[in-house]
Amino acid sequence: MAMNYINNASLLKRQLVVRFARLMFTGELKNKIDLLPLHQAPRNSEAVRCCLHHDRAVIRYRLIALLGFAIENEKPDDEARTLASYVEEAEARGAGRMAGSALTVIDEACSACIRANYRVTNACRGCVARPCMMNCPKNCISFENGQAHIDEKVCISCGICAKVCPYHSIVFQPIPCEQACPVNAIVQDKNGKQDILADKCINCGKCLQACPFGAIMERSEIYEILRAITNPAEATVALIAPSIVGQFNTSLGKLVTALRKLGFDHVVEVAWGADLAAQKETAELIERLEHGQTCMTSSCCPAYVEAVKKHITNIKPLVSDTLSPMQYAGEWAGQQWPGARRVFVGPCIAKRAEAKASPHIENTLTYEELGSIFIAAGVDVAECEESRADLEATSVGRKFAVSGGVSTAIKNAASAAGHNVTDKVIDGLDSKSLAILKAIDKIVKSDTFVEVMSCEGGCVNGPGVISNPAVARRFLEKMLQEHP
Amino acid sequence: MAKKFKITICSGTTCYVLGGAHLMMLAESLPADLKDQVEIIDSNCIKACQFENAQPPFVQINDYLMSQASVAKVVEYLRKH
Repeated sequence: MAMNYINNASLLKRQLVVRFARLMFTGELKNKIDLLPLHQAPRNSEAVRCCLHHDRAVIRYRLIALLGFAIENEKPDDEARTLASYVEEAEARGAGRMAGSALTVIDEACSACIRANYRVTNACRGCVARPCMMNCPKNCISFENGQAHIDEKVCISCGICAKVCPYHSIVFQPIPCEQACPVNAIVQDKNGKQDILADKCINCGKCLQACPFGAIMERSEIYEILRAITNPAEATVALIAPSIVGQFNTSLGKLVTALRKLGFDHVVEVAWGADLAAQKETAELIERLEHGQTCMTSSCCPAYVEAVKKHITNIKPLVSDTLSPMQYAGEWAGQQWPGARRVFVGPCIAKRAEAKASPHIENTLTYEELGSIFIAAGVDVAECEESRADLEATSVGRKFAVSGGVSTAIKNAASAAGHNVTDKVIDGLDSKSLAILKAIDKIVKSDTFVEVMSCEGGCVNGPGVISNPAVARRFLEKMLQEHP
Repeated sequence: MAKKFKITICSGTTCYVLGGAHLMMLAESLPADLKDQVEIIDSNCIKACQFENAQPPFVQINDYLMSQASVAKVVEYLRKH
């Protein structure tokens, strides 16, 4: 799996969340938040960007996003605002939900990657044949100081120059966020900075993982969540996604205790909702196939469901109507503890958008954020006692964490009901797999269940994970062996 | 026979979240010639993070405590010793 290498930008973000959460726990956030940029990038330390002042400006914007605000909404005079004033605004926001996209771009951090995707390197010999110049359809290559030069304003990134160079001296240089986006929802504005187009974005979080400058942030809900778990009068439920196994190098039982230590009153395994979703989805599949439908696709991945709504609307009738495991688990928790704040804890950013539209979930938290909160609270997960969740799942639902888990569950359940179905897994969304999905009913055999995962490898490779997906997968397999 | 290097990876929550998760790949990332000289222990918190200005994640290689550890840094250290 290509993604999720160690990445300094994400480590710096986790450190900042630790500092933020510490202030929430001591009740000093409003008084001290304006010091955090100084604490994170202290005087005389080495700057990551051009200088410490730029680093601090970026940190300031990260804190604004951590408070849940969209950076795009900043007005010119807001640059002079204190972070404390943003805390006050967040306070007044109450339990109200945030409107708009789950992702936000920090212009100040965006490096405005070059527009033209092709660059001439020093390997250029300035040859006589000059095939790059001769074959450029836009006539945008000239020679300066004996080397080719591409006029970025004219270049259309067709790549012919790179193909014809006998020295391979012209290289393709992607814009990482644009390359990662499966639906062309992130584009450069006139200043070269990236904008997210809300009507196209599916909140998959791939741009956030891809940007080497950490310029894309999720609009976090940790402020609301920390406020709730530190308030003894407010009941809270942590709904933990199946992929949490393996995120903290320890057992599920210890993690359940650790969540309770943080202040969550109840802990529910979302995998229980996955058990239920598998049953409902199987019944739905059988019914649809009996009515002559060729295939049906899963509906548990919110980025995929959003992609269907915004980009491949023609296959909407093929998508299962079964709710996601998160929503079933949230519905159960709502009946069990009316009025409690239900917090989905998972690897996913698209879930935040799904939760906003659902009556069954109030907030979402990523594993990364949870990890930072554990550090701030001084909770060491591995040293906690084992305890049991209020609602537990079977191995069927727990397997939803990795790609193939959903389709295996449905196939087995259908077979137990006397129906033979074929399964197909679309493992990761990109422009190619979206093209396949667009014509999926013409591609697959009849009686097929199609599982679609936006993240390659499944939820264990989501944008909010801590563990390397291979490690998390190993953990899950070990757990399933011990608790079949 | 005792191995040349005893490597203790701290898997306390602080280390694990702040970069240590990737050290779980150490065993499979070791070059073939180093593999049989190394014993890897996945440990609970070794309390190295409790000092002022501590820089997790930590790895203990014999007597040497490495801060801000990464797979690449560990391999480099083993090569030099």
